[in-house]
Amino acid sequence: MSPGLPLLLFQVGARVFAAPAADVRRIGGSLVERPEEAVPDTALGRPWDARRGLVVDGGDGAERTVLVDGVLGLRAAEGDELVELPAFARDVISTRALAGFARIDEVPTLVVDLPALVRERRDGEAAPDREETNRHG
Amino acid sequence: MAEQEQGSGARDPAPHGNAPGASADAWYFAVRLGDGRYAFAAPLVTEVVKLGPLTRLPAAPSFLPGVVTHRGEILPVLDLGDLLFRRGCEPRPGARAALVHAGPWRVAVVADGIDGLLPVRRRHVGPPPAGHGASEFLEAVAADDAGDVGILDMPRLVAAARARSVPK
Repeated sequence: MSPGLPLLLFQVGARVFAAPAADVRRIGGSLVERPEEAVPDTALGRPWDARRGLVVDGGDGAERTVLVDGVLGLRAAEGDELVELPAFARDVISTRALAGFARIDEVPTLVVDLPALVRERRDGEAAPDREETNRHG
Repeated sequence: MAEQEQGSGARDPAPHGNAPGASADAWYFAVRLGDGRYAFAAPLVTEVVKLGPLTRLPAAPSFLPGVVTHRGEILPVLDLGDLLFRRGCEPRPGARAALVHAGPWRVAVVADGIDGLLPVRRRHVGPPPAGHGASEFLEAVAADDAGDVGILDMPRLVAAARARSVPK
């Protein structure tokens, strides 16, 4: 039996996301030694409390720490629990850091490509989360 | 119909007292947006379902409030009111949605209300009025006992939404 893909579940604001555990070098607190390595807000939104940090490869030789509100644990996802984003949704969202979904307890949970997320943030590619700005203003 | 001016008069008034669909020339699928009724070609609709839990997507346009799972398939939810008039319906779990094939995409369409199948006689269909908020996507205006219904070109509407939102 395949061991499945280990996913790290984490929370940003009210939302729960997953990311391949292999993309996370370590889990830290919100205090980052070099402030320039902290990534406080991304296409996933801005964390409420930013109590934890997911340390990932920044792609430029440095590490980046994506600040999140909490780390909820590890979960292995089998192949049939991993689903691509629907083509229409993939086309219209303004981030390329959403890899797809993992069906966790029958609920589709977004799987995030963390290195792509920090690259987007660094390069200024990602627009702010349009959901809130469009729905309320 | 909301934001709908009176039609051009090119169509006859709808007859009263006919059995629904008894002599329909075409079938449409009708929804409600605000005070108005809109419809699109019924064959595009594969099923009407109750929405399950909505998974919201970050960095999504407001007409895409999220995705839902239906029989193992993950479907984008398209808020028709937001797309046409920027007045979304804030879909909740349990709300009804029409599963629609629009071009190459399959989406769950939500509106303020789902009316369902609408039989239309050809002679009760007229051209769309100019200056209507949704006129870009209106193919025609039909009439029945309940009043006017805007007939939408759904594949064009969905394609335009996608084109408008594709990140540059």
